[in-house]
Parts: sequence; C-alpha cells; structure tokens
Amino acid sequence: MGWEEKAARGYSEFVQAAQQSRGRPVFAFFSGDKDAQGRSWCPDCVTAEPVVRSELNSLPDGAVFIYCQVGDRAYWKDPNNEFRKNLKVTAVPTLLKYGTPQKLVEEECLNRELVRMLFTED
Amino acid sequence: MGSSVRKGKAVLPAEQAARPSREQPRRAATEDYHHEAQNANNGQAITASCKNKDADLQFKIQAYIDKNTVMIFSNTACSLSAKVKELFKSMSIPYCSLELDQTEDGQKLQDVLYELTMETSVPIVFVQQKQIGDYDKTLKAHKEGKIQKLLETKGHDHMQDSYDYDLIVIGGGSGGLAASKEAAKYGKKVMVLDYVTPTPQGTRWGLGGTCVNVGCIPKKLMHQAALLGQALQDSRKFGWQFEEKAVKHSWETMTEAVQNYIGSLNWGYRVSLREKKVTYENAFGEFVGPHTIKATNNKGKEKFYTAEKFLIATGERPRYLGVPGDKEYCITSDDLFSLPYCPGKTLVVGASYVALECAGFLAGLSLDVTVMVRSILLRGFDQEMANKIGEHMEEHGVKFIKEFVPIKVEQIEEGTPGKLKVIAQSTDGREIIEGEYNTVLLAVGRDACTRTIGLDKVGMKINERSGKIPVSDEEQTNVPYIYAIGDVLEGKLELTPVAIQAGRLLARRLYTGATLKCDYVNVPTTVFTPLEYGACGFSEETALEKFGEENIEVYHSYFWPLEWTVPSRDNNKCYAKIICNIQDNERVIGFHVLGPNAGEVTQGFSAAIKCGLTKAQLDNTIGIHPVCAEIFTTLSVTKRSGGNILQSGC
Repeated sequence: MGWEEKAARGYSEFVQAAQQSRGRPVFAFFSGDKDAQGRSWCPDCVTAEPVVRSELNSLPDGAVFIYCQVGDRAYWKDPNNEFRKNLKVTAVPTLLKYGTPQKLVEEECLNRELVRMLFTED
Repeated sequence: MGSSVRKGKAVLPAEQAARPSREQPRRAATEDYHHEAQNANNGQAITASCKNKDADLQFKIQAYIDKNTVMIFSNTACSLSAKVKELFKSMSIPYCSLELDQTEDGQKLQDVLYELTMETSVPIVFVQQKQIGDYDKTLKAHKEGKIQKLLETKGHDHMQDSYDYDLIVIGGGSGGLAASKEAAKYGKKVMVLDYVTPTPQGTRWGLGGTCVNVGCIPKKLMHQAALLGQALQDSRKFGWQFEEKAVKHSWETMTEAVQNYIGSLNWGYRVSLREKKVTYENAFGEFVGPHTIKATNNKGKEKFYTAEKFLIATGERPRYLGVPGDKEYCITSDDLFSLPYCPGKTLVVGASYVALECAGFLAGLSLDVTVMVRSILLRGFDQEMANKIGEHMEEHGVKFIKEFVPIKVEQIEEGTPGKLKVIAQSTDGREIIEGEYNTVLLAVGRDACTRTIGLDKVGMKINERSGKIPVSDEEQTNVPYIYAIGDVLEGKLELTPVAIQAGRLLARRLYTGATLKCDYVNVPTTVFTPLEYGACGFSEETALEKFGEENIEVYHSYFWPLEWTVPSRDNNKCYAKIICNIQDNERVIGFHVLGPNAGEVTQGFSAAIKCGLTKAQLDNTIGIHPVCAEIFTTLSVTKRSGGNILQSGC
C-alpha cells in the first residue's frame, strides 16, 4: 500500500492535511518557503530535504508524509506565528511524527539514521 | 583443535605440497617427512601419521603463541626477521623467537603456520596471542600504536575481538544510560538493553528507567500541580478574584500533559543513544553463561550477545503485600502516574517517601486520602523531621491509620475507578477494621530486579534476602568483568544523581585510566511531601549514636516564609536544624530543612558541607532577605539550652 505525500503551504493548509489523514500515521517536514527556483530561504532545510526523502521508503504502510512550507523568513521570525504557538514547532527544519512527542530538529534531520528511526520505531 | 578452529580456517590436509616461502629455500626437513611416511605399512597409516604429526605441530605452534607475550616465528637467514626483532628491541619489548631453519620439522611448522595465518613467509609476529603478521604489517601496527595498546591490556583468557561488544549495559535507567554514553565517548562499542515487564495492571513505559517514567519526574510534576492548587487559594488574599466553584482539577488533563513530557524524554534518550552510537535494544537481558547474555524482545525473539564487560543497572520494582487481592485490585507508583482515570478516594499503604509524597499530592488535588502505616514514618530519615511531616499532612486533611496492615482486598464494584473493600488488622493482632476506597495504592517497598537475570549462571553473589548486589567501592561485583550501579546496589543510596555519577565515573575508570571513585558521603536529598523536607548529612539519631550527645550541638528554629504571612498559613511549622560536631570546630555534619522549595535550599548548603562548612562560617555568612534560607545564617538557639524557638513574625 505504501505511503502518500501531501503538500501544504502555511498553517491552515497543514492542519487541513493532518485532519484529512486522521487514523493514519502522519509524519510532517517543516521547511522555509521555496522561491520560484525551488530553493528555500532556510539553508539547513535545503540540506535536510534530500536526506529525509532518501528514507521515505522506510515509512510504515498507510503513512502520510506532509511536506509543509511554513512561510517566508519574516513570518517565521515572528514569535507569535501559529506553528510556534500551536504546534510548538520552533525551528526549521523540523521532522516530526504528528500527535507524538517524537521529533527531530535542525541538524538532527541531517542524520539519516535518526530519520529512519523516527519513521520506523514506536 | 587450537587456533585453526578458533580462526575458522580449515585445516588443510597434510598431503598438500608445502609452499615455498619468499625468503627461504626449500628445507631438507621434507626428507624427514618422507622418512616417516616410508616406515608406515599402508596408505591409511601414512595419512593417519601425517594427521597426528600435524596436530602435534599445531599444538606446538599454539603453545608458542599462547605462552609468549610477543612471539616471532623467524628464520636466521631472513633479513626481515632480523629487522622485526630490531624493532621490538628498539621498543625495549622482550620477545620470543623460534628460528624455523634451526628447528626440527621447521618446514612443517611453517606449513602449519601458513594454514593458521595465511602468511606465506617469515617473520610472523603475534602479540598477546593476536596475529599481527609479517614485517610490513608489524611496522604499520607499531606506527598506529596498536602494539602498545595490546601490550597494555592484561592477559585475557579470550581474545578481545572475539566479543560482540566492549560493554553491555543491562538496564536503561539513570545509571545505565549515563554509563553507556560515557563509555561510548571513549570509542567503546556499547549496547544497552532496556525492558519493562508490565505491571499486574498491564502498565508499561519507554526508555529512561524509573526516575523518568514512574518516579522523580512525574512525581514532582504532580506535586507541583498540588502546590498550584494551594497557590490558587492563597492568591485570593493577594487580591486575585474568582469564584470558588470556578476552580476545578482535571486528573486527565494533568496526566496527559505529564505523560507527553515523559514521552519527549523517552524519545530524547533514543536520539541521544543513536547519536552517540550506542546500540539500544528493547529486550529483556539475562546471563546464560560467562560473558554471554540472551536478549528476548516482547515478541519472544531471542538473540545472544557477548561482551568483555557487563554493567547491571536493572533497578527495582514495587513490592506487593502478599495478601489476597493485592495484585488483582491494587495499584502501585508504577501505575499511578499514567492512570487514565482519577483515582478518587484513595488508601495509600506504606510509610515510605513514595507513600507520603503520593498521598500528599493526591490530597493536594482535593482527593480523599487515607494513609495506612505499619509502624514509623520515613524509616531511615531523621525521625523528628518525619513526625513533623506527618503532623502537617494530618492537619491538612490526610487521614492516618497507624499500626495496621491490610490482610485482604476485595472488589465491591468494577469501574474506573471501581470500589474496593480493604480489611486490615492491627499490628498487635487484636483489632480488625474495614474500609471502602476507590483506589488502593501500595507503597510498601521496592525489590531489586536481580532474581531472574541469570546471575547464578555467572556465579554472581547477591544478598539472598534483599536481592541487592554487594559491590566494592569501584562498583565491581564478585565476578571481575561484571559491575553494578544504581538502586540494585546493597548499602548505597537509591537516588538518580548517585547512579548517574557512579555510572560516569565507572566508565572513566574502565576506559580512560581515571581513578576517581564515587563519593557516597553527604549526598543531599529532598522529600517532596506537601511540606517539603531537604536533608544533607547525618540525622540527629545517627549523629547522637556516632559522636555521643556531649559532642554534638544542635541548633534549630522555626521560621515563617514571608509568602505565607498574608494568607495566614501555617506559622511555626517550617523548621530548620543543623547538627554540629563540637570536637571538629563545630563542623556542620547534618543539615535539615522543612519548608517550601526545600530542594533548592538544600542544594547550595550541600556544596558548602562538602567544603567543610563550620557553624562559625555559617554565622559569618550574611543572609539574603527576605528568603527562607536566611534562617541558617542566624541560628542561635541550641536544643541543649531548651530555649524557645517559636516565631512571632518577621
């Protein structure tokens, strides 16, 4: 059955995507917005994305992977942005298993083994 | 036999032609071989005698390797052999050399050596039974410091690299995790096994041990929840206005938040172990033989691992009463912190700090709480302080049933919570009483997890009665390659920071040559009952016993935290006491404080005590005003004088 990817831009789209996936394991990757050339303003996100994508094949069956662009740099720096307030996501990149305390933050996302551990263990 | 088998190499039949070496010409020894063969009567006998001869030569080679720290198989005509000997001479390392050209059966020996080592020529060097190889390999090993390293290790029965791990830690709690991460820092190959056997109620938890999951962490958070409830009440006196009925407590909200935090700690440990390259398995570890353990996961799958050293850090689990209905209907601290429903009217059985802390916060959350106590409170702690704690709890609505023990627990009604009937008997046997409760929480002691981990298979001695492990002051058990830390230890304090410190120092001693041992003296502790109690050093009873009444001076005083004055709370309940050794400059040997934030207060003073704090130094210290701790800088009334210590205000 494999896994499914959803894309979300901004907080409300993320919440919608997560709610649509209720009942299935949901993993989310939060990144700074990508420009027209497809490059994010967040350099660590640029480095982390290929690492995370390389491990997607270890996702459990039926899982949903949400690739979420959080917004531009100014939005992200605002201490009251919704991701910070409601989801407690305080850094990009963040890779997390939705609804659990399991997450990887910043340079942890660059560690292939940690990414695999997040995707495969409970 | 011998090393061919050990190395997993096939023993080639003797009939195979001897390979000419690079450095030396074919030896006349071959003739000897033929001689013997011709003397045999038939083909089979020849084979037989060849094989026997082979075995003898293998034995001989192996004996040379085993008996000598440095063994060089050499040849007098071989220049590289001479060079390798020079190398060892230059390092002032003694060696034994066997000159194959001068030895009977030299060629045959060389053939056997080839089968053993795959080296086609001499010299062939062994250090501490480990094959290094020819001259080039030996030089390389020397440059990389490998030869020195091998020589530094004491002779072992087994070769180091035949073990799966350098260190296997059984138990992933405070001690086990600290030790494993420290050992990994020094490049050691470490594995941690952690497994939680579910409670009779089916409760389980993640990596991190008792403290993180069912001990200190959730306890302190729930204690805080209770304190906040009290603070809400006090706040009215400070001008905050709200309806009384607006204040309610949700057990579910609190427990979910606490469990969420614990979950993040479990995850954090998983990440931390991975990052430090410590192998973690969620499996039950038990010894099955020397240097070998079996790890069984929750699906029943078994794996076997070997290690050079082991560390037992399996901790303890709550004890049950051994009366009908105890396991079926009662819960313990293992279950309380993740209980999915509010426990309701609760009977806490026990007088330990676990019992009193749990009873304390449950009452603080406005639950109906009764504590059933067999004899004294807080055995092992200063009894004056223990009694003050009990009195405070009683004044604040906790009921105590003293000198009774439950003899039966029955279920009246199922439910979450249900209804239970407890039948108890007085300790003198004369009276029987009954009571009804929603929940019965047992806190009557904890037992070390040492009975089912195969310690008998490795000859480890434990205290048969308590199950605890006696160790030397270097945490070594009676089995030289097995160590133990944490709550399993006999005669040591059962505290997280003690286990962590012991674990870290042990790893440093084992793997860096450090010598610092864990200092178990003057370890500060705090009991988080509603009125908190912090202590460091001797209790008054122990000091009296050890030094004699005439040699100790006890200074004491009540105090009233400023924050409690406005809400008119509990005057002359908070209490400070220090015990001084008169014969040693009035050195402070015991520190006791009963009051808010007792842990924060005690930590600083415990450092001073480690530095040898005296009463005079304390008196010379100027207090911070207005805080509770300043009382310690102005203590003047001694117990001996009988002077009045009641406070009338700031």
